[in-house]
Amino acid sequence: MSTTTGPAASDAAKTAPGPGGKPGPRGPSTTRKDGGRGKPRLGVQNLAGWLFSTPFLVLFTVFMAFPILATLLMSFTDFGLRNVTNPLDAEFIGFENYTKLFSDEKFLKSLFNTGYFVVVGVPLTIGLGLLVAVLLNNGIDRARTFFRVGFYAPVVTSIVAVAVVWRFVLDPADGLVAGLASEVGLTAPDFLGDEKLAMPSLILMAVWRNMGTVMVLFIAGLQAIPTEVREAAKLDGAGPWHEFRRITLPLLRPTMLYATVITTIGYLNVFEEPFVMTQGGPSDSTLTVSLNMYREGFNFFHMGYASAMAYVLFVVIMGITVLQLRLLKDNTK
Amino acid sequence: MHRAARTATVAIALATAFGITACGSSGGEGVAADAKQTLTVWAMGAEGEKLGDVAKEYTKANPNVNVKVTPVGWDVAHQKLVSAAAAGTLPDIAQMGGTYMGEFAEIGALEPVDTKVFDEKDFFPASWEQGVVDGEVYGVPWYVDTRVLYYRTDLAKEAGIDKAPATWSELRSAAEAYQDKAGTKWGLNIQPSGLDTVQSFYPFLYSSGGEIIDKDGKAVIDSPAAVKAFEEYGTYFDKGLAKKSVQPGYDVTKDFNKGDVPMFFSGPWIMTLLNDQYPDLAGKWAVAKVPAGEKSVSMAGGSSLVISKDSDNKAAAKEFITYLTDTKGQEDWFKRTSDLPAATAAWESGPLAEDPNLQVFREQMETAKNSPPLPQWSEITSKVDSAVEAVTQGKESAEDAAKKAQSEVEGLVK
Repeated sequence: MSTTTGPAASDAAKTAPGPGGKPGPRGPSTTRKDGGRGKPRLGVQNLAGWLFSTPFLVLFTVFMAFPILATLLMSFTDFGLRNVTNPLDAEFIGFENYTKLFSDEKFLKSLFNTGYFVVVGVPLTIGLGLLVAVLLNNGIDRARTFFRVGFYAPVVTSIVAVAVVWRFVLDPADGLVAGLASEVGLTAPDFLGDEKLAMPSLILMAVWRNMGTVMVLFIAGLQAIPTEVREAAKLDGAGPWHEFRRITLPLLRPTMLYATVITTIGYLNVFEEPFVMTQGGPSDSTLTVSLNMYREGFNFFHMGYASAMAYVLFVVIMGITVLQLRLLKDNTK
Repeated sequence: MHRAARTATVAIALATAFGITACGSSGGEGVAADAKQTLTVWAMGAEGEKLGDVAKEYTKANPNVNVKVTPVGWDVAHQKLVSAAAAGTLPDIAQMGGTYMGEFAEIGALEPVDTKVFDEKDFFPASWEQGVVDGEVYGVPWYVDTRVLYYRTDLAKEAGIDKAPATWSELRSAAEAYQDKAGTKWGLNIQPSGLDTVQSFYPFLYSSGGEIIDKDGKAVIDSPAAVKAFEEYGTYFDKGLAKKSVQPGYDVTKDFNKGDVPMFFSGPWIMTLLNDQYPDLAGKWAVAKVPAGEKSVSMAGGSSLVISKDSDNKAAAKEFITYLTDTKGQEDWFKRTSDLPAATAAWESGPLAEDPNLQVFREQMETAKNSPPLPQWSEITSKVDSAVEAVTQGKESAEDAAKKAQSEVEGLVK
């Protein structure tokens, strides 16, 4: 971390002008960071501010900060069932939970499954969400509201109701797909019972469920693009595809970044789909990290171990998010 | 030395985090049975819904004791009980399944049963043992549950089967005959994989003389008897007699009614369900004892009633439990819920003594086997679930699966 060496210094030089030197929305925020934040004063003029934020601060401390800290501490102990009534007996075991995790086949499998879910699910969700948003924004004039609501409905539907519908769709015996397949003389596969198909089926369901959120974001982004820019492009002779690639897409970048990051975080945490549809089966092929954590924690009461899992997941999520922010932001130039 | 300091720091943080206030706040003798008081009771699922009526009647007869029943869903029951135990807010009385008993006894949340009031001889052996942890009794049996074979008698006729299958080989040939001659889609429904597959596997395991954990607390899931059970269980999937994949929430009674599935193992509540939902099916089905490998042994389940260690109303709690578990209370409960009485005396009159299907349950109950009350039981059975899955999906031989499960379970019981 020595800043005196050549390459490091030039690195710093390269990145420093980036945010600071560029005009636009990010400029002022960086200057404010340096100047504005003095010591917070507890004067009378600040009293109202503190008063108004107290409810939040109390709730945050009790329901967020404290559990987060307790989980961290717990992840270094052997906290198990017997400690529920006697937490004082929990023994400090250092990094043992963490080292155990990486030789735990089940955990590694759940990590792989989660990765699979993200790698396939995120591009699909973003891609389809964008497609639908663009279609709704440009194509359909009449039933626009109807479709918007239609595509957004899955987002606000309870997962239990969704599960009932999807089970019906995917049921190999008398489900919708099976019925359609037999109409044309085919046999539908057993989507949720087949190790290779179970995860793709869940991804499909998740994409359907989350596409609406992304779509709404993109519609907002699309509507923020000034019409003059588009018209100018048209005057310059850009066709629709050209316009989309050269104008729309670059201007949607901030929305894209946001949508990708929240979808990725959501999918890294994926729990509901496997929980209600497959319970992690068949043969753990849909066991995700969150589901694994839930089982260890609440079925077997290995609280220490489950906490360690939570922190590993946290580090993974943070790492990936930082990476995404870097990659996608640097490209804006 | 060093470690002690660190443990203490962690422990203090955890203690605060869990909101532990001194648990033994009650102390002393508590309130007399007939003094004015409110008795809190948690009951699960259907029982929770119906116990409220009983409580009302009890309060009418005992105006000083106001019994307040809170129904708790089975799906959240375990978590709710554990967090209540952690916070020291367990109700005076709770309904508890056998698999929970070990955990809660271990964390010291339960009051030992007064064996002068509740007598072992009055109950089915398996249901009494369910409440025994390390030689101490913690639960009074409330109702019992065991698994028997449900089968379609009308289709059996078509298939040329004239009596209920009583052995493994009869069961297998019945399944084949149903499929070949009566045209059913499957022969027998047993769960191939997923959570609690072990419940479906118990009738095979116990009937071949196998066990997961023996009396001395040692893992024995790779015993020759257990391997034989794995093999037999797997055969149904090899031969296409049983469905290889079943989704969570699968309702076997629907396919039973349609005639796709002619046989399955299940508990007493299915009788009520079939009578209520498929009245047209009446007279076309019957129940039989679990077909024997070595002998016919099924699993025992059901619920017990426990008193919380912290309760201030132990005396009244004891009286209310007596009311629920004596002969009259048990008969009344059966009428309301169709839950099978745990007290044997209640079986001596009325439909319980006369209905041939209920008699099957009674006979099965005499020898039924319950799960050992180990705190890590759900973790142990999850290993067996995986072993069963490996066999039914044709991934591992019965022997390999059993060996793997054995080493995993050994790691858990030490």
